[in-house]
Amino acid sequence: MPREARAILLVLAGAALLHLSVFGDGYLRYVRPGMHPYLIAAGVVLLGLGLTRAFLLFRALLASGDQANGDQASSDQASSDLTSDDQRQPGSASDPHAPSHLRAAWLLLLPLVAVFVAAPPALGDFTARQSGNTVAKPVATGFPALPAGDPLTLPLADFVVRAVWDQQDSLRGRHVELTGFVLPKAGGGWYLTRLTITCCAADAVTYKVEVRGTTAVPRRGAWVRVTGSWQPDGRAGRADDVPIVAVTAVVGIPAPADPYE
Amino acid sequence: MQATHTADAATVFPWFGAASDSSSRAAVATRPESVGADRGAHADSAADSDAGAYGPHLRPNPNLSRLVPLLTDLAGRLGPLRARLARYAEPLAPVTARIGALELLLGGLCVLLVTRFLVSGQIGSGGLQAWETVFIAICVQAIPFVVLGTVVSAAVAALVPPSFLERLLPKRPSLAVPIAGAAGALLPGCECASIPVASRLMAGGVAPAASLAFLLSAPAINPVVLTATAVAFPGQPQMVWARLIASLLASVAMGWLWAGLGRPEWLRPQLREHEHHEGGRLRSFLAALEHDFLQSAGFLVVGALMAATLNVLVPRSLLAGVGSVPVLNLLVLGLLAVVLAICSEADAFVAASLTAVSPVARLAFLVVGPMVDVKLISLQAGTFGRAFAWRFSAATFVVALACAGLVGGWLL
Repeated sequence: MPREARAILLVLAGAALLHLSVFGDGYLRYVRPGMHPYLIAAGVVLLGLGLTRAFLLFRALLASGDQANGDQASSDQASSDLTSDDQRQPGSASDPHAPSHLRAAWLLLLPLVAVFVAAPPALGDFTARQSGNTVAKPVATGFPALPAGDPLTLPLADFVVRAVWDQQDSLRGRHVELTGFVLPKAGGGWYLTRLTITCCAADAVTYKVEVRGTTAVPRRGAWVRVTGSWQPDGRAGRADDVPIVAVTAVVGIPAPADPYE
Repeated sequence: MQATHTADAATVFPWFGAASDSSSRAAVATRPESVGADRGAHADSAADSDAGAYGPHLRPNPNLSRLVPLLTDLAGRLGPLRARLARYAEPLAPVTARIGALELLLGGLCVLLVTRFLVSGQIGSGGLQAWETVFIAICVQAIPFVVLGTVVSAAVAALVPPSFLERLLPKRPSLAVPIAGAAGALLPGCECASIPVASRLMAGGVAPAASLAFLLSAPAINPVVLTATAVAFPGQPQMVWARLIASLLASVAMGWLWAGLGRPEWLRPQLREHEHHEGGRLRSFLAALEHDFLQSAGFLVVGALMAATLNVLVPRSLLAGVGSVPVLNLLVLGLLAVVLAICSEADAFVAASLTAVSPVARLAFLVVGPMVDVKLISLQAGTFGRAFAWRFSAATFVVALACAGLVGGWLL
């Protein structure tokens, strides 16, 4: 891999990380919010390394130009230095090993192109449809009391876990406000769905509730905020239960900056 | 001429040559003819001596005797001609090979910049977009840890003299391996960070068996990962203990296994010792950082491509069928850990969500995941060579499953 290409790749990799983390909220589509400072730090390190390399290459270009003027005997050496890869060794400019050295690093272009050009959106209804439906049983003994509020704004995952596993039925009679996207249900109706990630989008887990009390089915993948209350169905306590929420209002909202919980 | 060239290059490129130096040095030794303008002269004399050497041997055969002058004549003509052609092409070869790649890169980037505004967020639908998202997510999530690992390894290379690393551990592998395995707790990061560091330890003179024990234990038993495990399994401290003990046991067992059965020729030599002697510490630090990062990042991308594909294709509902069949679900969860390639800081949460399977099988998921997965196999192949990667990964998979089964049966 040519030195110039290394500099370009490093600068681009650093720029991609900063593009996602500093200039906008793009990183939230791919990783958890806690990664923010690490992404900035890594981006700064890579950008700095690439720029240092570029600066030194530029300086070397000037220096070898001067040398070629001053010393005719070494002019061909100097010009080969400009283009050569591992020029510390005589003749390595024509060494077939040199281009293949670090050949795998070219692959770094793939995620860079994906970030800058394809810029795919956060995981959504496709992933939710693919994934199974199991609600992990929390091992902690009991749930803390729900805070006051009417309607009470709850993360969808909290709502689902409490609805399925809370023996005290703390959700009973509470008016809640939930945010998620729309996943049509086979055979009519729809689910309010949210993905949670713990590290990156590769470990996304789906939580969903079935929405009752409204006839209109919003567009697939649209983000909505619903208010309503839990409707016990007698299936609580089973890991494959999908809780039901009887809604009184469904409001379309723009996609949140952090699409995961 | 060679002397002046080396001196020139050293002054022109003060520090960035150091990292690539080791690799090009070996290559140059096997390609002595590649010294620029000298090539013609070499080839000329080679052709002459060829003609002289083959001539007398062929002469006794009467049928061939008439051909011989023709052949020697032809060889005599072709030799210099080829040499002359090579001489003309010589200065062009690096230009076409290198500037060509660079121009392609720059041109391609310009084209992409233009298309960006046309197609952003619209390439593919559904599954393909999910694949792209998971692919980027794995890369973005891992790169800070790769940077951390390469910074640590480059700092070790620049600041710690190899003699210190050699003296750090006892000579006998039976003692060095457990100590190195326990030292894995000192590197707070996930598995992507541990490979460059382990490679650096080997380059610095630490026995491969001890370095490999460190490589396996670091991503599994460091405080960040154990804390995440405790959070994911609240009220189940035995899961944290089981993970710690089983992972440590598996990595020490693999270290000893390597010390006993491993052959050095499987392992690509980690030749980097001489960096210390060239340029200043900052120079060798930056050169090592650049080289290690680009090397690891390239193979990380290969791993991320595989992991994203499997992640999107393999349905999680597959697990429901496995249920609680004792040995089978251990094996299936081990394989799931290999194909999903989830970062060791997050895999505890995924394991906690797999309620359909037994705790021992979930432990297997937690023990295998940080040691063997498609992303790691790719990174290891890039750093240590393919011959090493598949043997080591296969053996580690078996050992990790066995340790998880034993410790899980005892504690869970």
